[in-house]
Amino acid sequence: MKIRVMVNGGAYERDVEAHRTLLRFLREDLGLTGTKEGCGAGECGACTVFLNGKTVNSCMVLAVEADGAEVETIEGEAEDGRLSAIQAAFDRHHAIQCGYCTGGMVMSVRELLRKNPKPSIAQIKEGIEGNFCRCTGYQQIIEAVLDVSGQLTPANKGELKYA
Amino acid sequence: MLENTDPSGLAVVGRPERRVDGVEKVTGDAIYTSDMSLPGMLYAQVKKSPHARARILRVDASKAESLPGVRAVLVGSELDYRLGLYVVDKDILAKKEVRHYGEAVAAVAADSLEIAREAVELIAVDYEPLPPVLNHMDALKPGAPLVHPDLGSYDYVPVFSPQAGTNIPNLSKLRKGDVDKGFAESEWIVEREYTNPSVQHVPMETHVAIVEWKSGDAITIWTSAQSPFTVRALFCYTFKLPLNNVRVVVPHVGGGFGGKAGIHLEPLAACLSRKAGGRPVKLQASREEEFSLLPCRSALTYKIKTGVRSDGRILAQELTLYWDAGAYADYAVNVTRASGYSAAGPYDIPNVKLDAYTIYTNKPYGTAYRGFGHVEFFWGLERHLELVAGVIGMDPLEFRKLNLLKPGSITITGETIAEHTGDPTKCLDAAAKAINYGRLTQEEAEREKRTGRKIGKGIATLHKAPAMPSFTATAAIVKMNSDGSVIVNVGLTEIGQGSATAIAQIAAERLRFPLSKIKVAIEKDTDKEPYDWQTVASKGIILSGNATVLACEDLLKEAYEVAAQVLRAQPIDLDHDAEKVFVRHRPDRSVSFAQLSVGYAFPDGNAIGGPLIGVGRYVAQGLSNLDKETGQGLPALDWTYGAHGVIAEVDLETGEYQVIKVASVFDVGKVINPEIVRGQAIGGMIQGLGTAICEGYIYDDQGRLLNPSFTDNKIPTAKDLPEEIESIAVETAQLDGPYGARGVGEHPMISVAPALGNAIMQASGAELLHMPIRFEDVWRAMRNREPIDNWITKTPTGSCRSDPATRIHSPNRAAAP
Amino acid sequence: MLQRFEYAAPTDRAELLRLLAESAEYRAQAEYGARTEHGAMAKLLAGGTDLLVNIRAGVAKPSLVIDVKKVAGYAGISWSESEGLIIRPAVTINEILRDAAVSSRFPLLAECARDLASYQIRNRATVIGNVVNASPCSDMAPALLCLGARALVASSRGRREIPFSGFFTGVKKTALGSDEILEAIVVPASSAGARGAYRKLKRIAGHDLGIVGVALSRKDGLVKIGISSSAPTPILVEGLEEGDSVDKVAAAAREAISPISDVRCSKEYREFMVETFVKRLMREVA
Repeated sequence: MKIRVMVNGGAYERDVEAHRTLLRFLREDLGLTGTKEGCGAGECGACTVFLNGKTVNSCMVLAVEADGAEVETIEGEAEDGRLSAIQAAFDRHHAIQCGYCTGGMVMSVRELLRKNPKPSIAQIKEGIEGNFCRCTGYQQIIEAVLDVSGQLTPANKGELKYA
Repeated sequence: MLENTDPSGLAVVGRPERRVDGVEKVTGDAIYTSDMSLPGMLYAQVKKSPHARARILRVDASKAESLPGVRAVLVGSELDYRLGLYVVDKDILAKKEVRHYGEAVAAVAADSLEIAREAVELIAVDYEPLPPVLNHMDALKPGAPLVHPDLGSYDYVPVFSPQAGTNIPNLSKLRKGDVDKGFAESEWIVEREYTNPSVQHVPMETHVAIVEWKSGDAITIWTSAQSPFTVRALFCYTFKLPLNNVRVVVPHVGGGFGGKAGIHLEPLAACLSRKAGGRPVKLQASREEEFSLLPCRSALTYKIKTGVRSDGRILAQELTLYWDAGAYADYAVNVTRASGYSAAGPYDIPNVKLDAYTIYTNKPYGTAYRGFGHVEFFWGLERHLELVAGVIGMDPLEFRKLNLLKPGSITITGETIAEHTGDPTKCLDAAAKAINYGRLTQEEAEREKRTGRKIGKGIATLHKAPAMPSFTATAAIVKMNSDGSVIVNVGLTEIGQGSATAIAQIAAERLRFPLSKIKVAIEKDTDKEPYDWQTVASKGIILSGNATVLACEDLLKEAYEVAAQVLRAQPIDLDHDAEKVFVRHRPDRSVSFAQLSVGYAFPDGNAIGGPLIGVGRYVAQGLSNLDKETGQGLPALDWTYGAHGVIAEVDLETGEYQVIKVASVFDVGKVINPEIVRGQAIGGMIQGLGTAICEGYIYDDQGRLLNPSFTDNKIPTAKDLPEEIESIAVETAQLDGPYGARGVGEHPMISVAPALGNAIMQASGAELLHMPIRFEDVWRAMRNREPIDNWITKTPTGSCRSDPATRIHSPNRAAAP
Repeated sequence: MLQRFEYAAPTDRAELLRLLAESAEYRAQAEYGARTEHGAMAKLLAGGTDLLVNIRAGVAKPSLVIDVKKVAGYAGISWSESEGLIIRPAVTINEILRDAAVSSRFPLLAECARDLASYQIRNRATVIGNVVNASPCSDMAPALLCLGARALVASSRGRREIPFSGFFTGVKKTALGSDEILEAIVVPASSAGARGAYRKLKRIAGHDLGIVGVALSRKDGLVKIGISSSAPTPILVEGLEEGDSVDKVAAAAREAISPISDVRCSKEYREFMVETFVKRLMREVA
């Protein structure tokens, strides 16, 4: 089936089989490998992208359902080679270790801040609940979000202490 | 090493520099094996056993072979190769018998994943199911079915002791002093048993390999792996090839945690490629396959018998560890060995009898997992010490401090602890202080009143040395570019832990260059990187860090030699800064690194020198083999000590609980990068909390894995964080570590669970002996109801739970008044 | 997704019902061993968060997936005093959470929706999808049962109404015929303003399906309880009145459930937690 999709502002026209997921379409048909598969069953969030402005697990969306839609992925986050504020904060705060969850995580953070520009820590945790990270333990990701939203203080900026 | 690396006035080491791989990861640019596609690449799928134990009577792959788009089909009978890190007990595809649920029986490579999947469905396998042995304690009984009847004929590394004719591929022993005497002198003897189920690493990127087996047996392997040189070595051992035939490439890795430390999908992908005429074959595990086809972490039953004096001094420990390794020995025999010299904890114990068994069962098998056995046995040990403290009526903190190793103490393997080994007491004190152990603050007391829930506090210590061969070695190469910047090549693999950044910082410090002039090659290539044993064991910072320091010194020495000729000075009179080498007493006489970098040309055209390349090698020094009977020897490159303090809040009616605070302390010697250390501390602690709260394999009584996905194999999300987290570093310099550093990659995961268990017990009286600690388990323990089988449901032959009986007797105590 | 199927996205309601009828015919004939040239074994696709998981796991094997989201008239939530609250097939869980009529008049619906899976799932999962999946763990069912909701069902043969108290017939089974679609959920205006809350026991603080779930609502002198994960279907406990003692209400709930032991929880603990949740909700919901 022929589909037309806008991805990160670029128009794409491709022939896909009905059963092909949006995730595989992005990664294999368009070569946008920044979005990852972590479970294929909508549990882990590594495949999070924007579909018509809403974050979704792209492993649970068929490519044909995205016909005529607008999709945004991690590859569209930086502009003209400059990191977005979220990306720069992730980099500053060591919110990245192996990096595999990062693409989806940044998408969820962008959505969280769009809905709620000054989220509390509890709201941040709620906002990234659907994105598993096995490496960081989430804390530095939360601090990156506090920084981007202008809420980082000495009280909530965790630091390694020395005994 | 420390004397050579002045720890004062550091410019780069100790600073929270950004990761060298941060930008490529946060933009989605970083390429992982799972992202890769090669021309002509085929996709593989695996046919897996639905039985835990069965004879394979017949495999009919004819329909699969004739499906259009299928390029290779393999069944076990075609592959006469054996695999095994330490005990060579595994076929690439099961041949006559399957030994665990999910084991690979056949495989297909096809033009697309869909065709491969369809082809796998078309392979018909006739099984004769056999009664599986699932409970590792049952596997020890005489007459138990043998998972490996031919164990006696397997090749194995001589450091291990497989017991032919049994289900025991290894038995490790340790004897120190005389436990009988110790018990005889004890006023109290306390015995109990603790258990841990299997858990999975859950790397976000599942195991994946792309292999190309070309003419002349020239093989290239791209793999998401921790140890490229081990993949090459084991691959060549299995296929009897010279090492130069095989090139292993590791791009970015989406998490390892030990699960990718060895060799896994590579041999099967390779055989498919060979059969498909050399086309590259990509084999990636689905998440469900990650849970059952790929290995997990061994389960454990730990029996502890402690003899103690009423003043609190532990006189004797009789420790028996029963490791449930599943169907293949893999790393499990080495986990057993490591537990053999470490499972008494960081305590000074004069008399120890330790026996550690690796036991085969018909279940997915255990491999290396962060902590290498320590997360498992510290659960039992630190829960047990709490019990013992209660028996003698001593505060658990004071009881531990009394018995902790101190300078001059002798470990259970006969190693003498020095001041510079590390400071477990300082760690424990800092953890206890951070949670106000022993009392409730006013805020906490008010919270109890408000919520009606009870707050409890628990502590636990930890230690670990790298579990590695006594001769583990590595090297580093530092090459200067023509602009005076450098590239560092190490075999140590970046798997998210931050090793590339730490190595870059060490190189920058030693060279006195800004970090911006240092590049650490991230992709590993066994054709290009110098040898490194494996990226495991928390030994990277010491071994590769030292090698990097030495390589930098070598580079500077070469540069000075050439500069001395240029500047007509003695090397000893030279100094350098980030840009140039100069004569110390006449600094206007200088030559830039750029000018020296690839050979120096005099104004008249004559040239001297050549490309500046520094090489550093480092091998573990002074370590010795362990005596097979007594376990005595010097196995430890270093010891990293630590402790956790946990504050938990328990609903006394329902058993529901939450974690209010975790404070974690580690003696890391020297913090190379505080944000990276904190990232390891928190990431590892949360992974430890996961095993404490919700992780664990559950089987039915036929050995089928009942929770092979995230639906029922939960891991912590951001909402599962404690309300407050504190990470604390102690810096007792490791004299032979770079700038005094020692490793901390695994340690944050260790002892989180018993600290939590101790906190819950203090709040509610619930004595928890198994992991995970589910709300229902707390509820049952509070009500003295029978614990439910944690691992195997509806088991007909007896449950896998530990014997809950606690035996406390007092052979020498006068009758209480 | 490795299993192959065809995809149709009708924009016209009549076309959807025709495809469904064809599929039911095909299914019936296949059961008798006959094969038909036309038609296919179809499954309806809304959010996909249950269907695609089931297809991937080999539990559902449709040869045709019919997307309901493009059908005219299948989007949106509407509220009026005369018709009540109407939830249509494309309405997602997050839409419920954002809807003003729901939050002001039917807060129990929002309560149950709030802890359903993760944010990304809630952006796709639909209310109707959640109930036709008929999992005993359904988070939305307890609210719909308490609020006396009705299912408006359509097929090419016509329309009918089923109260939710009769909708769930077994584990993952509903009263829907193979050619029928749940076209709207109607929550009666008479339930507007019901006070209620939902307690869900999970294994972790993060997203998890319910180990047990209890919704309690109070309106017009009546107390109603909707319980999930404690029986083959979500269940409704009625016949309780304002003024009934906590013990009586808890006992009624206890009587109504028939939980099992599984890998998530034991029967005993489920029984205990249902009772405990009921007791706590009785105190919490004024």
